[in-house]
Amino acid sequence: MSRTDDDIDDKSDDRRGGKGGRGGGGGGGLNRRKVCRFCAEATTLIDYKNPQLLRSFVTDRGKMVPRRISGSCARHQRAISTAVRRARMLALLPITVGGE
Amino acid sequence: MARLQSLSDAPGTSREYETVYILRPNTANDGVAEINTKVKGIIEGMGGKILKVDNWGKRRLAYEVAKERKGIYLYWRYLATAGVVEETERNLRMLDLVIRFMTVRLDDSVDAEARPSEIDDGAYERAATTAADEEDMFLARGDAAPADDDDEFENPVAEAPPGTEAN
Repeated sequence: MSRTDDDIDDKSDDRRGGKGGRGGGGGGGLNRRKVCRFCAEATTLIDYKNPQLLRSFVTDRGKMVPRRISGSCARHQRAISTAVRRARMLALLPITVGGE
Repeated sequence: MARLQSLSDAPGTSREYETVYILRPNTANDGVAEINTKVKGIIEGMGGKILKVDNWGKRRLAYEVAKERKGIYLYWRYLATAGVVEETERNLRMLDLVIRFMTVRLDDSVDAEARPSEIDDGAYERAATTAADEEDMFLARGDAAPADDDDEFENPVAEAPPGTEAN
């Protein structure tokens, strides 16, 4: 599994290089690589009973944050999406935050 | 009533489930206890094993459910076999105090004997006691409180003696 991760890393690095190498690596900024939060700290479990945690994966309007923004990996994004849907069912998270 | 048994379930094992249900915010402790006793009766009567019962207290709902803005959350975790969840949910559906419920399957093929239960003597009693939420305490202190939740307003922080609150 780590091997494929490395492969993906290499590929995206290549692509970045091919774009003209605008990334000077000047500390964060454009090319800072996002890491899935739940892969980084394996102790944090994704659970629909923890709305505080899920709030960080939901926008102010109640919509889910896409992977390209949150940086979650596919597996954990799937778990988050299940958890958010369950939490919405129990009114722990809003389905939508309407503009009145 | 013959049920088709699932072929994926190992014989002689149970499934682990958790059920959360939300009660109307003005449910008295007696009412909570009554529903809990009913649910307990169904699960244990059908050969299930209860692992945990918890009252999360009165919480603000993220959106309005059955015209309520708040609800009392009850959390159950248990081991059960086929049909128990259906029967439990069928009963919850019939109760007017229950405004929402959800059951999630946590684990398959659990050996019921090997799983310790967190239930002790006071567990059901504690589950029936809804802690007063902060807003109610605040409203009870101030004079100019909106008078929509009458009965909570009269019995604010201190535990009301059982039976005094109207159901």
